Amino acid sequence: MLILGPSGCGKSTLANCINGLVPFSYPGEIQGSCKIAGTETSSSSIFNLSAVVGTVLQDSDAQFVGLSVGGDIAYALENDNMPREEMLPRVLNSATLVGMHEFLEHVPYNLSGGQKQRVSLAGIMHDHVKVLLFDEPLAALDPQMGNQAIDLIDQIQKNNNCTVVIIEHRLEDVLYRPVDRIILLEDGQIVADMTPNELLCSNIIVEKGIREPLYLQALKMAGCNVTIEDNPCNVFDINLDKYKDQLVSFYTSVDTSKPVEEKEVVLEVKNVDFSYDKKKALDDVSFSVNKADKIAVVGKNGAGKSTAAKLICGILRPDKGKVLLEGVDYLKYSIKELGQKIGYVMQNPNQMLVKDIIRDEVSLGLVLNGKSEEEIERNIEEALKKCDIWPMRNWPISVVSYGQKKRVTIASILAMNPEIILLDEPTAGQDYRVYTEIMSFLETLNRNYGITILFITHDMHLAIEYTDRAIVFADGKCIGDDSVFKILSNNDIIEQANLKQTSLYSLATRIGLNPEDFIESFIVAERRKRHEKS
Amino acid sequence: MKNLNIINLTKGETFLHQLSGTTKVRLFAVLMVYVTMSFDLPIILPLFIVTIVGLVSLKPSWKVIKPVVIFVVAMNIVNIVLFWLANPHCGFEYTGDKTVLFAFTDYLVVTKGTFWYLTVRLLKMLTSFTTSLVFIMSITPSELAAGLTSLGLPYKLGSIVELAFRYIPDISRDYENISISMQCRGLELDAKKIKPIERLKQMIIILIPLIVTSFDRVGNISNAMDLRGFGKGKQRSYYSEYPERRNDTIFKVIYCLIALFCVYYIVSGLISPRDPKMWIYWS
Amino acid sequence: MKKESIGKILLGKWDTKTIVGVAIGIALFAVLMVYGSIKVFTNTNLSLAMIVPVIVGGLFGPLPAALVCGLGNVLADLIGGWGLWFDWSIGNAALGFIVGCLKLYGADIEDGVFDIKHMVIYAVLAVLGNILAFGVITPIFTKILFGGELNITIAQGWFAAVSNATVLIIAGIPILKALAARNARGKNLTKE
Repeated sequence: MLILGPSGCGKSTLANCINGLVPFSYPGEIQGSCKIAGTETSSSSIFNLSAVVGTVLQDSDAQFVGLSVGGDIAYALENDNMPREEMLPRVLNSATLVGMHEFLEHVPYNLSGGQKQRVSLAGIMHDHVKVLLFDEPLAALDPQMGNQAIDLIDQIQKNNNCTVVIIEHRLEDVLYRPVDRIILLEDGQIVADMTPNELLCSNIIVEKGIREPLYLQALKMAGCNVTIEDNPCNVFDINLDKYKDQLVSFYTSVDTSKPVEEKEVVLEVKNVDFSYDKKKALDDVSFSVNKADKIAVVGKNGAGKSTAAKLICGILRPDKGKVLLEGVDYLKYSIKELGQKIGYVMQNPNQMLVKDIIRDEVSLGLVLNGKSEEEIERNIEEALKKCDIWPMRNWPISVVSYGQKKRVTIASILAMNPEIILLDEPTAGQDYRVYTEIMSFLETLNRNYGITILFITHDMHLAIEYTDRAIVFADGKCIGDDSVFKILSNNDIIEQANLKQTSLYSLATRIGLNPEDFIESFIVAERRKRHEKS
Repeated sequence: MKNLNIINLTKGETFLHQLSGTTKVRLFAVLMVYVTMSFDLPIILPLFIVTIVGLVSLKPSWKVIKPVVIFVVAMNIVNIVLFWLANPHCGFEYTGDKTVLFAFTDYLVVTKGTFWYLTVRLLKMLTSFTTSLVFIMSITPSELAAGLTSLGLPYKLGSIVELAFRYIPDISRDYENISISMQCRGLELDAKKIKPIERLKQMIIILIPLIVTSFDRVGNISNAMDLRGFGKGKQRSYYSEYPERRNDTIFKVIYCLIALFCVYYIVSGLISPRDPKMWIYWS
Repeated sequence: MKKESIGKILLGKWDTKTIVGVAIGIALFAVLMVYGSIKVFTNTNLSLAMIVPVIVGGLFGPLPAALVCGLGNVLADLIGGWGLWFDWSIGNAALGFIVGCLKLYGADIEDGVFDIKHMVIYAVLAVLGNILAFGVITPIFTKILFGGELNITIAQGWFAAVSNATVLIIAGIPILKALAARNARGKNLTKE
């Protein structure tokens, strides 16, 4: 079963009612009844409930409380005061179920998000739990790992014959494996409780701000009216026969020709090598960034994309090779000077916010750089206006939403008038609504003010929808630098970089069209539609 | 990560590593009493030698411990010199000896008694250092937690220690990231360019987001612990704590004997205070 | 909101949240011992780690603060490799307890309450706490545990007291103010 809904709709609260954190840790008023395996949760205890309901939390770093993989899997058993001899076989058994048995001695620091999540899952599997509850299991995973996670969940559900409740907003990714029922929440109320096919054919998901699967978007755009009988919940199973002609004619109708523009190069990375101690992190990397480009930097964890980002910001300097900024070797700039040319926006806005009032935060960088008062006033007014938060400039930061906080951090970087801004995972962990808000805002900045933007991301949707070009990293090498649709139709790159075939690719292959051109047509048509709207 | 990696998160291979957490913690506790209780060379010197042997047997990464050793030895020597400068006759109270060996000025003299007192004191400090160095390098945080529980302390205290070690790497990574992003925004951290008080103010800028984000995770972690039954019973067991093996039993006998000796030494010292002049016999 | 009794504030609630809070506090303390030290002269440091117990005190009460300050010190000593100095750790724990008493005089970081009155009380407590901790408690324990000349310990104690008080006041007050301001309920939210 899948529980779906935008942020703040009550899905986490509902989950906490099921696993017993409500009322154990979050006291409040409860009306009505919630029964798990026949027991009322309010009269049970969190300890008894945890033997029936196993919960995997969203934040796999927080859930990993043990010091090693084995220690974490054993955590619940330790709390049961189980003797060690009894513990060992059970830990091994659980670890084998999730494929982590070879990592028992590993420490959390060196594990990937997907591995941590597997450990979390193993840690709750001891008591033959009846219900497995997953809170946003896909949030921190790269696309391929997301698929593996869903696969694993599916497998465990089948083998152990237990109930699985997944809380997510990434509908398409969850539907990678069959789901029996979907419950859609909004404002604390259930607005839909139906099968995936029923839900996908209704208009409800779009109205409630949930992202529709890409292949369905493409079908709708081509004017196809998909019905329940077509079995639309999976791109491989959907019945396409009657829509083929429509899709082909849509595909030929989109004009994908673009005016070729000459662009000025701002940043050039030339044959750069970089090593931490003896481990090579970047190996002969070269790419260039043009003015007003919008580029996605993608690749799996540890592929070198954050090292590349740090290198561009000048926090690390190349061992070999050159970085040219507007034609000048950037070694002559200090980090501080470089910071005014290349702005770096961290993933978590809370890690950047220092001041309590928005305008103070935005002016912080300028004050630190010792700018004059008029210049500060002028720059922050411009930045605040560009980011559309000028009317709120005197508000305390504590009252604004996550998306607005992100805007504040971007404004505080923009105030320094950088040539390029570099964003680390700008939408990580956000639902579709906030995600769209942040991304369309960045798009406006790029389009209206010609600001060069680089994103680091593992989210392929983000790359497809909002960027022109993608630079792909794998094992410290830059393995691809091309338009997004070319990258996404190149199987080699996709495999090496742990990316995932989008469902558009599968759709195109199934109807016998060239995937590269089909993806391009879709993107062009989609963007046009979005621009008309805004 | 500078010297944060002196502690191992997973069990090592050598003889001392392989002892159980309970053995290590109890032995360490007894040895700390042992080294603290006296200024007696025949008591301190053997332990010093044993801990040096222990240290070598751990096959430590010398790269990691070298700076620590140099720093601590230097600190202690400076300390001893300060003692001497403050009162060149500070050894008199213990040794009752004022024989001048060497005189710089009328005030700054080296007496036999003071020399002996300060040398033994230095050795005592160094022994305390080597003992804890061997201890910290041989134990993992989980064993430490298990060991503390075995001393009769509440297991929640052990859990605090264990959790603290779990999140030190995460927080230091956050610290580095925040520091980087603030430097890009123009924060000056170069010690040569600014005065200490200025630097203190600059550090505040890094500290605020670090504090906010560090404590933000408390809710999630405590939920994760509650959901897996933390605090369910009065006792809890430890995955990484091996049951008592042969070597642990041998050490059990050893630390019990040392403990008995300590009790005898302290009690006999209280009943009939030792002659302070005993020191000089060693000259 | 209900007023908690003084006794309750002093002891704190020892639920899972507090345990995690103290653990995170200790981890933060240790990290700042390594990174957050500012050299004044060789061998004398202003350590920003001293701020952490204050924050923990503000969030969870004085006893958790004492634990963070004391255990944090033990841990930092162990990681630093220079052995255990219980005389100093006990002094630190006492200091942690005293500066962690924010809730006792009405300051509430979580609710955004920290004004001039609280700053003054805080500063006075920071100074008194340091004098008590390193001028009295540490020397007493040094005498008991190690014996010997107290001059040096007392001199070091004053040094520690002065540098800690400097950090607690110069860095502590702005940080507490900023944290309180961030948690303050929004007032007058009109777009201009």
